[in-house]
Amino acid sequence: MRDTVANALAESSLSEFAVYLLGNVPGLPPIAQTFHIAGICVVVGSIVLINLKFLGIAAPGQNLSEMIERLMPWMWWALLVNAVSGSLFVVARPIRYFYNPVFAYKFTFLVPAVILAFLVYRLSKRESAFWENSPSRRTTGRVIATVSLILWTGVILAGRWIAYSEYLWFYE
Amino acid sequence: MNEESSFPFMAFWAWLQALPLSEHIGFTWWFPFLESIHVLAIGLVVGSIFMVDLRLLGLAALRYPASRITRELIPWTWAAFIVAAITGFGLFATRATAYVENPAFQIKFLLLPLAAINMAVFQFRTIRAIVDWDTQPRTPIEAKVAGAMSLLLWMGVLLAGRWTGHLI
Repeated sequence: MRDTVANALAESSLSEFAVYLLGNVPGLPPIAQTFHIAGICVVVGSIVLINLKFLGIAAPGQNLSEMIERLMPWMWWALLVNAVSGSLFVVARPIRYFYNPVFAYKFTFLVPAVILAFLVYRLSKRESAFWENSPSRRTTGRVIATVSLILWTGVILAGRWIAYSEYLWFYE
Repeated sequence: MNEESSFPFMAFWAWLQALPLSEHIGFTWWFPFLESIHVLAIGLVVGSIFMVDLRLLGLAALRYPASRITRELIPWTWAAFIVAAITGFGLFATRATAYVENPAFQIKFLLLPLAAINMAVFQFRTIRAIVDWDTQPRTPIEAKVAGAMSLLLWMGVLLAGRWTGHLI
């Protein structure tokens, strides 16, 4: 399955196009990576800050439900920017990424992190002050926030380690 | 080390990168480790700064006084900045003589003081009159300029910082 997808992608004209862009547009690799990092900054300024607010260690003068509604749309846009800027590199060299264990780890963290963020957002949208309405919901919120913080930290750390996987598997 | 180099303090940079600790970072998993922490810290530095900038531009968090957004976020910026500075110095030390001559690195360290000056001007001048507009969604031109300059300068720092790795 993975072989089929990776090979099909590697031989596609889309991949050829991405390789062409990265090799011929002056400065495109660092520019696309900068958008990717700026997207990470917005993710930290939205979901990470919301999680810190859940845990009561940030933004004491702001309201949790209001923060969720105000900040989460920024996060969805940032994730879109990250998906586009990241795909450019994956599509250009699918074999390099598909068979990189660190890349797999990154997405193992990313998928549940996005699902949790969506859950926090959806429930808050459906019922205002959802996460503040009862002590049990507050506790659930804190558990979700802790897991989410760990997952996002994992996503960002693993993302940077993709380029260094040989240190973990072939080194020494 | 490049003998023709005209960059100041070359002997010092050479000494720095020859330290056992610098070499240890450069030749082991410490380098990617510090680099990944550096990126994480940058997320908090720039993420918090962007939020303040957008409030100063009158584009976001308009229901809160600008002073509250600033007061609640800037401590996170500084804490993360210290982490970014320490990890960044560790990365720099591995190839100090090359980094000081790297044009992208030089631009980054030109933009960083400019971002600091922009921040200082806001903190020590513009903020004096903040009571006049603190709770208003519409911000004065000085605040808008500070927010826009900050956004641009920090995007520049990210770009130059990321570009540094492509030239080394």
